[in-house]
Amino acid sequence: MVRNKRASKALKGTYLALVLAFLYIPIVVMIALSFNKSVSRAEWTGFTFDWYAKLFQSKQIMAALRVTLEVAVVATAVSTVIGTLGAIGMHAMNTGMANVLVNLSYLPMTTPDIVTGVSLMLMFVFAKVPLSKWTMIMAHIAFDTPYVLFSVMPKLRQMNPNLYEAALDLGCSPMKALGKVIVPEISPGIVTGALLAFTMSLDDFVISYFTSNTDQNLAMIVYSAARRGVEPTMYALSTLMFVAIMALLLLVNRRSGLENM
Amino acid sequence: MIQDMRLIELKGVCKNFGDTQVLHDVDLYIRKCEFITLLGPSGCGKTTLLRIIGGFEMPSSGEVLFEGKDMTGIPPYKRRINTVFQKYALFNHLNVYDNIAFGLNLKTPEQLGVQTKKEKKEEIARRVNRMLKLVKMEGYEKRSTNALSGGQQQRIAIARALVNEPEVLLLDEPLGALDLKLRKEMQLELKAMQQQLGITFIYVTHDQEEALTMSDTIAVMNGGRIQQIGDPKGIYDEPKNAFVADFIGESNIVDGVMLQDDLVKFRDTEFQCVDEGFDTNEPVDVVIRPEDIMIVGEDVGMLSGTVESVIFKGVHYEMMIRDEIGGEGQGMLWKVHSTTMQPVGTRVGMTIVPYNIHIMHKAKTADAEPVSETGDKEA
Repeated sequence: MVRNKRASKALKGTYLALVLAFLYIPIVVMIALSFNKSVSRAEWTGFTFDWYAKLFQSKQIMAALRVTLEVAVVATAVSTVIGTLGAIGMHAMNTGMANVLVNLSYLPMTTPDIVTGVSLMLMFVFAKVPLSKWTMIMAHIAFDTPYVLFSVMPKLRQMNPNLYEAALDLGCSPMKALGKVIVPEISPGIVTGALLAFTMSLDDFVISYFTSNTDQNLAMIVYSAARRGVEPTMYALSTLMFVAIMALLLLVNRRSGLENM
Repeated sequence: MIQDMRLIELKGVCKNFGDTQVLHDVDLYIRKCEFITLLGPSGCGKTTLLRIIGGFEMPSSGEVLFEGKDMTGIPPYKRRINTVFQKYALFNHLNVYDNIAFGLNLKTPEQLGVQTKKEKKEEIARRVNRMLKLVKMEGYEKRSTNALSGGQQQRIAIARALVNEPEVLLLDEPLGALDLKLRKEMQLELKAMQQQLGITFIYVTHDQEEALTMSDTIAVMNGGRIQQIGDPKGIYDEPKNAFVADFIGESNIVDGVMLQDDLVKFRDTEFQCVDEGFDTNEPVDVVIRPEDIMIVGEDVGMLSGTVESVIFKGVHYEMMIRDEIGGEGQGMLWKVHSTTMQPVGTRVGMTIVPYNIHIMHKAKTADAEPVSETGDKEA
C-alpha cells in the first residue's frame, strides 16, 4: 500500500514536471539566451546585460514601446467604460434580449484573431478610414471590450438587487445611484476587466498587424525582426514582454483569489 | 399617537406582471403615526404593495395618494419615504458611519437647516451619532459593514433609513434573517422606536405573531386581495373568513349549515352560537380555536372522540382528537390545546361554549382559497 502510494505520487510529480517543462523550457531558454554574451545560439560565452542596454538605445524599439503603451492605455480606458456600461445595461434588460446580446458579445472572443484582424481592416478600407495608430486603437477597443464585459457581469449578478433601490430610496437620482453605489460595488470586476484588457492589448500581434500602417507595436517589431534573422535584443525584448504580462496576470489572479476568499 | 389624518391612501390599486395579476383592486388608508402591518403568505402581493408605496413599482391602475396628492409617477428619491430592505442592502464599500450619512450627504446645507458646508458636516455628524445611539450601535462608526452580524447590519439599515427623518418608513420582512431571540428583541425595539419618533411604519411580514405583537393595524392579504383590516385583537378574535382565521393563529375549520339565528349544525350536531343575520340553511365555515375546545368526560361532551397524538408545546399540550362522525376512523381530526394531558387512545368528550364558535360566510371568490379540513371523505 505504502509503496503504491509512493509510486503514484512519484508518477503524478513526474507528469506535472513534464507538462511544466514542455510549457516553460522554451521560455527559460529564451530568457537565458537574452543574457548570453555571444550572438550565437550555440555557445554560452558569459553573462551580460548588453542586449537589454541595446534594446533601450534602439529608437525603433522605443518608438514601438510608446505605440504599444499608448494603444493599450487608450484602448483599455475606452473599452472599460464601454464594457462596464454595456454590462450594466444588459443586466437591467429582460433576460431574453440580454441572453442574445451576451452570446453576441462572446463571439469576438472566440473568433480567430486573423478573422477579426482581416475583417476590421476590410471595414476600415471600405469606410475609407486610413490605417494608422487610431485604427489600431479602435480595433483594440473592439477586442478588449468583451473581456471587461465578462469580468463585470458576474459582479452585477452577485450584487444585491436592492442596492440600487436603496440608493434611490435615500435620495439618489438614477445617475447618482450608478456613480455612488453601483460602480463602487462592482469595481473589483471593473479593475479585473481593465487589467485583462490591458494584457490583451500589450501582446496583440495579428489584429494590430492588419489594422495599422506605419505604426508598429512591440509584437510587430519582434515579428519583422525575426524575418531578418533574430538578434539577441529580440530575446531581451520578448523576455521583458513575458515578464510584464506575467506580472499583470498574477495581479488579476491574486485579485480574483482574494475576492473568492 | 395615531392621528386621524389619512397620510397615505390607496384607491383601487391593481398590479399586473405580464399575465398574472398580483394585486386586485386594493383599497387601504394609512394614518399618520400608525404602525400598520401587511400580513400574508408568500406570493400574496404584500411586498408588491409595499414597493408601490415606495415608488419602486407603478400600479397598473388605481391611485396612490400622499396627503391627498397623487404620487403616481413620482420616483422613490422624491418621496418622503424610506425603506428598510429585506436583505439590508447596506453599501459594502462604505463604513457604518458613511452608510448612515449617505442620505444626508445628498442633501443641500439648506435642507438640513444650516448655511455652510462645514456646518452641514457637523449637522450630519450630530444626526448620525443620535441614530447610532438610538439603534445602540455607538462606537461602530468606522467598522466595515461586512464585519457586522446580521442583527447589527439590521440596526444600521434601520438607522440609515430613519436618519433622513421620513414621514413613512417601509420595512420589508426586516427581521426575517434573525434568530428567534434576536427577532423578539428587535420587535420590541422597533415598536419603541416607532412610538418615540412618531413615524408611520408600514411593515411587511408573513409571521402572524410578529404582526400581532407590533401593529396598531393589520391588513391580512391573500391572493392579491386584502382579506381583513383591523386591530390585532379584532382580527384574532373576529376573523372575517376562514383564510384569516387559519392564518392568524391556529384554527379548526369545519363546514357547517346555519339553521337559524344562534344555531349552527356541523359534524351532524347542533351547536348554540352567537351569530345572527345568516340565511336559513346557509352553508358556512365554522372556526374554532384549539384552546377553545374543552375536554370533558367521554359521554358528557357535545362530540366524542379518541386522542390520536399528543405533543408537548411548553405551556400546553397539543392533542389531535378524531371524532366519531361517519364511522370508526373516518371522523375529522380536531386540534385541541389543553394544559392537562390525555394519553393517546383515550376516549374523551369535547365541549365548545357558544361565543367560541365563529361563523363565517363561505368565501365567494376562488382567490380567497377557503382553507377547510372537512374530514368528509366521500370521494
